[in-house]
Amino acid sequence: MSHQVLSTLAESQSLYLDPAIRDWVLIPIMIVMVLVGVFRDQITVLLSGGTKKATLKAIRESKVLMRGAALRSYGNHIPPLSFLNRKNYLTNAYKKGDYLKNPASMNQTVNPMTDPQGMEMMMEGMKKNIAMIIPQTIIMGWINFFFSGFVLIKLPFPLTLRFKSMLQRGVETPDMDVTWVSSLSWYFLNLFGLRSIFTLLLGEDNAADGMREMTAMSQMTASPTGQPQDFHKLHLAESENLELTPHSWELNDIEHRLLTRYGKREQQKIIDSTENVIESNEKNAIEAASASSYSEHKGKSRRKSGKH
Amino acid sequence: MTTQNQASLYVSEKIVQNVKTITFIRSSMSAITGSAAGILGLTGYYGFIFYGITSLFTSFLIWAAKAQAKPSLYFRNGLDVWTEGIFGGLFSYVLFWTLLYGIVHVYD
Repeated sequence: MSHQVLSTLAESQSLYLDPAIRDWVLIPIMIVMVLVGVFRDQITVLLSGGTKKATLKAIRESKVLMRGAALRSYGNHIPPLSFLNRKNYLTNAYKKGDYLKNPASMNQTVNPMTDPQGMEMMMEGMKKNIAMIIPQTIIMGWINFFFSGFVLIKLPFPLTLRFKSMLQRGVETPDMDVTWVSSLSWYFLNLFGLRSIFTLLLGEDNAADGMREMTAMSQMTASPTGQPQDFHKLHLAESENLELTPHSWELNDIEHRLLTRYGKREQQKIIDSTENVIESNEKNAIEAASASSYSEHKGKSRRKSGKH
Repeated sequence: MTTQNQASLYVSEKIVQNVKTITFIRSSMSAITGSAAGILGLTGYYGFIFYGITSLFTSFLIWAAKAQAKPSLYFRNGLDVWTEGIFGGLFSYVLFWTLLYGIVHVYD
């Protein structure tokens, strides 16, 4: 029995592949996919290179939002008065639309068809999509057309039988081990595996790998990037955020922190005035609440007694 | 200082740069270890275990040599050194494992 199993195992192992397959299919597919990735990256650079120039006002419009965000996140490093000054100035500017590209068009919605820059952005998105889809389709068609119908390589890891029809497309052999796969699965292996190789070759933010753009595209259907944003709305939202930002200066209890750091005072003995205020407020609130509940209780009991 | 103030002490551009460095190390290491696994002729679970061990070793090297045992200086979350980019590297590991295994052990 065991002998039989061994012999079948040996039989499944003893599939000899022509070295010509390695030289003319396995390695060329990989090289072509790498080159197409590089090509796609270069094409994207070429297509998006010319249209990057934004006008001064457009840059200012978006940078002022970043200024607000910076004030929100790092505001604790400056004294309260400075923070308040900046906050007031920025919220006013946001509300009045001082930094908008076109202050006259504050209230009307932007039509992407009339705005030349919005038009350009839409075109750019379409160009990128085309540059992504076409090479992918061409390679897949090329592999399907020339290299289907024979076994290309053996995967070193086992897979379940469910993958058989997918991985051995074009090789209709019912008894063959699933680990022997045809060229299309080699293509998919390359598609996923070359992603980090492109990171090595072309740097971090390359456009070489199609899968990332595929996910980007599926997000794009939800919110079209071709549409220019309404900056007035963004400015208003930012001003609201700024108004809601609390401020507590870093140097409020600096004397205490300094003394504890050099061991002149124990660790946890901060008697913070603000905390005290809060606590007393809370106490008052609790008392008030209990008093009201008490009176309610009284009222209820009175009603009850009235029923009685 | 509160925790929120701590978080704002990090400069996000630098953190992005650090993540890039880690991604670079992981990508090259996964290609190299994949080739090693293919040449050694590992099959089945042994290959994935080999990936686990080598990526753990790489993480240790990043932690010790790159972050000088203080990863919280370079990342918001100190554990990022151990986990960043492990799954992205797995695919290229499998690619090179398959390629070298095929060339060395299937075709002779």
